Amino acid sequence: MTLDLDRKKVVKNNWRVTKVRGKSALRIRIPGGHMSAKHFDLIRQIAENYGNGTVHITTRQGFELPEIPYEKIPEVNRMLYPLLQDLELAIGVQIDKPENGYPAAGTRNVAACIGNRVCPFANFDTTVLAKKIEKEIYPNDLHVKIAVTGCPNDCIKARMHDYGVIGVAEPVYDYERCIGCQACVKNCKKKVTGALAMHNGKVVRDERLCIGCGECVLQCPTSAWTRNPEKYFNLTIMGRTGKKNPRIGELFVQWATADVVVAIIKNTYKYAEKYIDKTLVKEHIGYIVDRTGYQVFRDAVLDGIELNPKARVAKHIQWGGHFYASDIFMTDQSAK
Amino acid sequence: MGKSLSHNEFNVLLGALAKDYNIYAPARFEKQGRFSDTDIIRYRQVSQVEEIVWQAKSTYSPKEVVMPVTQTLFYFTQTEYREPETDTRPCLVFLRACDINGFASLDKIYLENGGTEDIYYKRLREKVKFILIECHTSFDNCFCVSMGANTTDNYSMAVRFGEENIQLELKDEQLAGYLDNIGQGNDFKPQFIQENKIKVNVPSVAEMPDWIYNDQMWKQYDHRCIACGRCNTTCVTCSCYTALDVLYDDNCQVGERRRVWASCHIDGFTDMAGGHGFRKENGARMRFKVFHKIYDFNKRFGKHMCVGCGRCDDNCPEYISYSNCINILNDRLKEGEKASV
Amino acid sequence: MCNNHLKPRPYRLLSIKKESFTECTFRLECDHTPVIGQFYEVSLPRVGEMPISISGIGSGWLDMTIRAVGHVSTAVHTLKPGDNIFLRGPYGNGFPMAEMEGKHIIIAAGGCGVSPIRPIIEHFYNHPEKITAMDLLFGFKDPSLVLFNQDIDRWKEKFNTIITVDQSCSTWEGKNVGLITEYVKQVKIPDFQNMEVIIVGPPIMMKFTAQEFIKHGVASERIIVSMERRMSCGVGKCGHCKVGDKYVCLDGPVFRYDQAQLLID
Repeated sequence: MTLDLDRKKVVKNNWRVTKVRGKSALRIRIPGGHMSAKHFDLIRQIAENYGNGTVHITTRQGFELPEIPYEKIPEVNRMLYPLLQDLELAIGVQIDKPENGYPAAGTRNVAACIGNRVCPFANFDTTVLAKKIEKEIYPNDLHVKIAVTGCPNDCIKARMHDYGVIGVAEPVYDYERCIGCQACVKNCKKKVTGALAMHNGKVVRDERLCIGCGECVLQCPTSAWTRNPEKYFNLTIMGRTGKKNPRIGELFVQWATADVVVAIIKNTYKYAEKYIDKTLVKEHIGYIVDRTGYQVFRDAVLDGIELNPKARVAKHIQWGGHFYASDIFMTDQSAK
Repeated sequence: MGKSLSHNEFNVLLGALAKDYNIYAPARFEKQGRFSDTDIIRYRQVSQVEEIVWQAKSTYSPKEVVMPVTQTLFYFTQTEYREPETDTRPCLVFLRACDINGFASLDKIYLENGGTEDIYYKRLREKVKFILIECHTSFDNCFCVSMGANTTDNYSMAVRFGEENIQLELKDEQLAGYLDNIGQGNDFKPQFIQENKIKVNVPSVAEMPDWIYNDQMWKQYDHRCIACGRCNTTCVTCSCYTALDVLYDDNCQVGERRRVWASCHIDGFTDMAGGHGFRKENGARMRFKVFHKIYDFNKRFGKHMCVGCGRCDDNCPEYISYSNCINILNDRLKEGEKASV
Repeated sequence: MCNNHLKPRPYRLLSIKKESFTECTFRLECDHTPVIGQFYEVSLPRVGEMPISISGIGSGWLDMTIRAVGHVSTAVHTLKPGDNIFLRGPYGNGFPMAEMEGKHIIIAAGGCGVSPIRPIIEHFYNHPEKITAMDLLFGFKDPSLVLFNQDIDRWKEKFNTIITVDQSCSTWEGKNVGLITEYVKQVKIPDFQNMEVIIVGPPIMMKFTAQEFIKHGVASERIIVSMERRMSCGVGKCGHCKVGDKYVCLDGPVFRYDQAQLLID
């Protein structure tokens, strides 16, 4: 029988329309980029029995299984249940009919660096927060990319995402415990922003230069520097790759709590619903912000949110990025 | 005299003692570890048995009680030095056998070396009574047995902590009154660790031969050691300090002279005015420390400085094992000079 | 309270004499007599402390010659006669003055090292009968850094004196240029038993000069050095000056070279 597909339904179901006629590719989300190794058995089974026996590791920390015939989609979707159960339903994601596979593809897998389960630099458990975000925003069709990174080293490249969540630590200084060895000062000067300086044999921290990376805590041989147990995050926005104007995300909210970050991300969907260009097949969140301007975006996503006292919000953002032509955003009067 | 106390009874005892003593014990500092969401264990004043971490070795040693990291020596104006007041309340310190022996090393430096007593150390030290924490098991990196520091009888009270109850031995009659109506009498005596997983062979040479100072065994530490000083700051016996004068920001005519812990591994330890210093290579610093701990100090005082608490090995971020270094040294000395070429 | 070894005492500054571009000799009123070779901790409230050896001893006074190199020594140079200077000490063991008597004394001093041996020279200048002979060997970096010019002129009259500078310049009136080690062979040593060599200077200079004397037949136990280390507390507590099992502030700074040789940093 000739294939008669609703192409858009296939794509929304997290299957790709590929260049190989008749063959799709299954995409598996791994929120927070961390899962039980037991799932490899199922992934292998699907790849070997339905696909071409290979698995691609995606840039968004998922798996893509190529060359699965379109007619096998329902069958494979049913097989996916243990994965959906463990990685989505178990963290609170609402999926009406899990036996039908993934309910949406627009909002992408929330990626995360390995975080403080393993990495000494990380300021928090990135997978836990990634899953918390996934729970709030998935399933959703809006094209949004989010990544969570353990520290300002930003190994997950959160600043290349629409939302980059960067875990920061507020360094707390115990004046009495400091021996003035200068390890933190020298390190901050060499590796970070030079936020620390010596004064009277002790260390002073310039709060405006401190980016909360936690390096001073790592360096300190007496635990004079420790992290404020309260977790803080820097939220960067609207970084992107793409053809038109690739750019690094800019700092939106600084020293925010996890609750504030999650609430802002959740609010984004209301903002997008209001301002999205419905004449397009899809519109990427970054281009919506390009059209409405930062202030409209800011006021919409902060609406109803009580910021934690320490949080600071950007008054204005000077967008950068690469422009291929100086008139890239110029339009003729005929084009509305 | 021995006693068995429930945790509640022990808290009553601590409450009574707290009326007359500052009570220091290893306590958990949550999320204050080097890495995020990790804890450290260090000394602070406690009032409840629940605060005392007896199940693990403390990250930092109890020397902080008598050797504060930062200590003011004098307050001064332009022409006058004045000593600060010290808290005169006596102290009880919960600590293990190795650490009690570690205090004996500190005493050698601060109360005996050069025939003078350091008044600041002495004032804090003479207030301290030891409460021995009996070790149930030898922890990672412990080698107290090799250093002969696994046992002690220098304590006022000894305590065996348990999940159900607490056994104690009282030696100091001054504390007897606090125990009058608490607990069940018994004949408890603390046990001491008789064997560690780590065994160290301290070289028993009368004089270190010349060649060992420049032996290749030290070279590996030139690049392995990062001169962070954690082995010194966590060590119960490291006693060095650096003095400096500071001026108060609001009035630079007045200020204080203070001392802070110094580390023979950290840059600048030997630097003199004009910038000349010694032991530029980290391997030379490692040698200096190792010799101090298991050779030089012993030559001077007839007792090894090191007590085998193993905190240096617990805390080295570069996984340098001091205990293994001693074993390497011992092997080198046995192999003799030829092997070094 | 009374036994605080870290507490300095004020001493009145009697006079200040400029010795070179960066060095001055400070004469202090003093109620006790230290042993030649001992040192004090100069202790300026608000600035800090530094070890300084004695460059002259008289009745009721002592001299300290201080080069402005660090922040404490620079601050000392701002003091005026009549001011108080705070000191702790004297510390250390000093030179074995009695053991030098009846012997041929050779002194080799480099740079600031001239300061601590100046009282030895003065002592035997005033009591030449106590020794058989004295040779003086001085090395300075350049002519502008020559210390105690007038003293040296006076000493020359009684003792064989060689002065050399590492780098010469047009104002250099002396004939000797080069490192002090090159002039060791010019010192005539008739009797290798009945003599003492005293070497004081920067660590490198002391090492090579001692080796040079040993090469010429002097036994290492006949050589006396004064070691320079970071003596900070002066009482064997702070640990900065420890070398081997010795604390330079307690067991030194003066060592017989056979002992000093064993102290490896």
